[in-house]
Amino acid sequence: MAAASKLMSVRRDWRERDVRVVLAALIIAVATVATIALFAGQLQRTLVSSASSFLAADRQLEAENGREIPGEWLTEAHARGLETGRMVEFSTMVFGADNFQLVSVKAVSNEYPLRGEIEVQRQSEGPRTLVGAGPGRGEVWINPRLLRLLDLTIGESLEVGNRNLKVTGLLIREPDGGFRLSALAPRVMMHADDVPSTGVIQEGSRVEYVYLFAGSETALDDYYRWLQPQLEPSQEWEGVRDGDTFSRSLERAERFLLLGGSLAVLLAAVAVAVASRQYALSQRDTVALLKTLGVRSNGIGRLYLRRLALWGIAGAVAGLFVAVPLFWGLTRMLSELLERPVELYLDPMALAPALLTAVVSLFAFAYPPIRRLRNVPAMRVLRSQPGETGREAIPDILVAIVAVFGLVWLYAGELGLVLALLGGLLLLLGVLALFGWLLVSGLRRVRGGGNAWRLALVGLYRHRRASMSQIAVFAMTLMLAATLVLVRTSLLDDWQAQLPDDAPNHFLINISPDSVESVASFWSERGHDLDQLYPMVRGRLTELNGLPVKEAVSKDERINALNRELNLTWMSSLPADNEIVEGAWFTPGQDRGVSVEAELAGRLGLAIGDRLTFTIGSQKVTESVTSIRTVQWDSMKPNFYMAFPPGGGLTDMPATWITSFYLPEEGKPGLNEFSRQFPTISVLEIDHIIARIQQIVQQVTQAIEAILALILAAALVVMAAVVSATLRDRQREGALLRTLGGQQSLLVRSTMLEFVLLGGFAGLLGVTAAEAAVWALQFGMFDGNFGWHWQVVLPIPVISAVVLALFGRWQLGPVLSVSPMLLLRRLE
Amino acid sequence: MNQMTDFSSDQSQPMLRVDNLSHRVSLETDTLTILQGVNLEINRGESVAIVGRSGSGKTTLLGLLAGLDTPSEGTVELDGAVISHLSEDERARLRARRVGFVFQSFQLLPAMTALENVMLPLELAGIDAPEKRARDLLERVGLGERLNHTPRQLSGGEQQRVAIARAFASEPSVLFADEPTGNLDNRTGQAVSDLLMALNREQGTTLVMVTHDEQLAARCGRQFTIESGVLTEPAAVREMAD
Repeated sequence: MAAASKLMSVRRDWRERDVRVVLAALIIAVATVATIALFAGQLQRTLVSSASSFLAADRQLEAENGREIPGEWLTEAHARGLETGRMVEFSTMVFGADNFQLVSVKAVSNEYPLRGEIEVQRQSEGPRTLVGAGPGRGEVWINPRLLRLLDLTIGESLEVGNRNLKVTGLLIREPDGGFRLSALAPRVMMHADDVPSTGVIQEGSRVEYVYLFAGSETALDDYYRWLQPQLEPSQEWEGVRDGDTFSRSLERAERFLLLGGSLAVLLAAVAVAVASRQYALSQRDTVALLKTLGVRSNGIGRLYLRRLALWGIAGAVAGLFVAVPLFWGLTRMLSELLERPVELYLDPMALAPALLTAVVSLFAFAYPPIRRLRNVPAMRVLRSQPGETGREAIPDILVAIVAVFGLVWLYAGELGLVLALLGGLLLLLGVLALFGWLLVSGLRRVRGGGNAWRLALVGLYRHRRASMSQIAVFAMTLMLAATLVLVRTSLLDDWQAQLPDDAPNHFLINISPDSVESVASFWSERGHDLDQLYPMVRGRLTELNGLPVKEAVSKDERINALNRELNLTWMSSLPADNEIVEGAWFTPGQDRGVSVEAELAGRLGLAIGDRLTFTIGSQKVTESVTSIRTVQWDSMKPNFYMAFPPGGGLTDMPATWITSFYLPEEGKPGLNEFSRQFPTISVLEIDHIIARIQQIVQQVTQAIEAILALILAAALVVMAAVVSATLRDRQREGALLRTLGGQQSLLVRSTMLEFVLLGGFAGLLGVTAAEAAVWALQFGMFDGNFGWHWQVVLPIPVISAVVLALFGRWQLGPVLSVSPMLLLRRLE
Repeated sequence: MNQMTDFSSDQSQPMLRVDNLSHRVSLETDTLTILQGVNLEINRGESVAIVGRSGSGKTTLLGLLAGLDTPSEGTVELDGAVISHLSEDERARLRARRVGFVFQSFQLLPAMTALENVMLPLELAGIDAPEKRARDLLERVGLGERLNHTPRQLSGGEQQRVAIARAFASEPSVLFADEPTGNLDNRTGQAVSDLLMALNREQGTTLVMVTHDEQLAARCGRQFTIESGVLTEPAAVREMAD
């Protein structure tokens, strides 16, 4: 036994090519999964921190009921190590030298903003600077437009209620200047401590208290768990992940990374499986010899098990050594992209999936063929025994499939993903079985000749077992890679489509009916056409089928839309990005009915025909639901929960008009003139927000590209491993063919053609399976619109054919450069 | 590649003519001489054995005669063509049409059946109906029932018979055999050498065989001895052949 152990020393192992391939596969597996897990974590932290500045905090607690939150809630937050801040938002009239204006005030505490920075201009023509705190006591910063409207200059006073506050800066951008239609009036930012002395807030005033929280994700989550049972319906906990354009992009990017990681797991498993099977085959003579020397089956089992464990440890350690610098490189790249230092954070927990991948790959994929070595008869020493038929491996394969998909499930936590990939894989195996049958029955009749094509076809047929398993592995690898390429393409297209370069970046709000035409001509004279103008009527949804809506809807549903006034509109045609999911859009001339946004309809449990009553000022309007439609909230265009037909329930209600349009940077000066000419119309500038989102999408895109490159590199290595598994046989065959008079050119052409056929077919198969998997994924994981992507996927079979042909040519290298005599001797 | 190289044989010429052949290989520190000043002429239809101990250079000589390698010095003329003047592809074409091989370790392709292995040289030479001819040959060597067996399913003797069928498949002018019975037991070896000789006679092939088996060598018309890279033709044997 000791002698046998010696025979199996690790050093000796390392000299074997197949062991090196198993180890390389393991190292790649551990490295890829670890890098992705580490980097995904890093990316998430970085993005969340850049996204947090959208809230000026990590979380916000909004109290819309006009009451402050209990002091102990803040005490509890501090006790949990969270930072807090406070904002008070309300509308009021402010007075300048000669005139007055309705403004939207944001009063902030010293801590504001907890995340992000405020952009402020201290002098009318001075530079803009980024600062980390709001105005001091007795000061205000105001919207530049307000300065003109009130005819003020910096340094003068502004009257807010009972106080005179000094204008010390122009507010250019606030980090949480989110896109809210309620913020119609120009902004005034002041210190929260000055609010009581203004006397503006009285009992019953409409005021919103917003509390800011920042700290570690765990502390925030723990705090929320503590807080949640105490929240009233009018108090809302908001994070960056709550449904806006940005958080959706983030979520998809994160899923993409998870998908990438899962595919890395699958690829690694494939590589380990292929290499270890090859290794097991090569070990049969050794095992037979050991048995002849008296080692029992159990002893052999133990020997190989120990060996496997050693490889596992070696592979995991080496993999981590590769992953950490890779991760470091990616993080540096991210830091360069963001143009700011990114703190390197090596999360030990992120390494767990990588190590688990190593263990599962080894024991589910490498162990079964190696375990079967116990059954090799000692007789093999004397006489070559028939090899495995492959049938005995079927139960192992099933176990392995379950194991690896379990791993993916554990890793990605998405059953949909697992099922989509599994479905794609089954489809692939089905088509492969069909192809196998066609290969056997169709190519049997082809006879070789001096012709490279025929030789290639004959080669495919004669190596049918190797061909089939190579096609299977290539197709699987390509399916995984193609899935990733497809998802990436869809993701990027989707983002691009969502925010095209000319996406509307300015809103005009509060346009009175009689100035609609003059506003449109004002901008068209300056070469900027307005998008569709919509009338807007403010009203509350108060009754559902005659019952007060709060009774009609279950108390569990805290529906924001019910707590505030909704923007109602009427329109004759359905906006291009809306889609009817139930009922029918208004027919020309129809003047009854209302169309409801699908998500709200779902939460209210609305169906076609339900009667909705709206209270608009003192009047009530009742209409039946005639259609339910989806809305693109992130389209940066006016969107409405409720749409009426022209001449319908909203006719004669007091309406103002709203529109959005794209104004390039050079058109900005026009805004000043516009404000002078139309002082009552509010201009909402969201170009900063859009630029910000575009920048983040770009960052995420870069990260995705990096991960994709990593996975494609892993796929290439898998393919190289598979091709090199037959290296020896092919070289021997090449040498023999040359000995028997095959010309070099014929050999090169037929081998390359054989690989072109292999690669092309595997590519087609892989791409088809990938399309199927992506088609399934689009319903589950990514809510983008996925069509067929032939322009993306068609190059893949071509690339795979070319790459494999080059692999084939590379294999032939020694066959062509050395005399056949020498090669035959070497390979004997 | 010179497509015009003429491989048509002149029947009055010897099949093989070797002139002052030497072969050396460079090692890390010095140069090893494997063959030295070999001169040899073999006529059409002759059977020749080259006998020598392991490491005497006999397999290297065989490889050079068959054009599998090129010599360091001297010339080999095979069926009128000077091998060292031909390109690799021209040598391959010459092998495809004129040369057959039998190896000690059979050199059958494991993924292919017996039938496919025999068809291989026919396909490479672009000969019509390769399957028919391969079947006939396998019948001739007594393996008509085992056409679709892979080498792994055949015994050593059977594998060598497939190799012999493959060697004769393209009706070569000259057959090179490298220790054809080296891996076989006495009885099987005897049967295989009987078959080789019989086919050789039937097809009028020139046979060049390398062996250390004196008995097998004795069945050839002429015998040469090789020792330390030097080839000699013992006079007694030459007289017997005359």
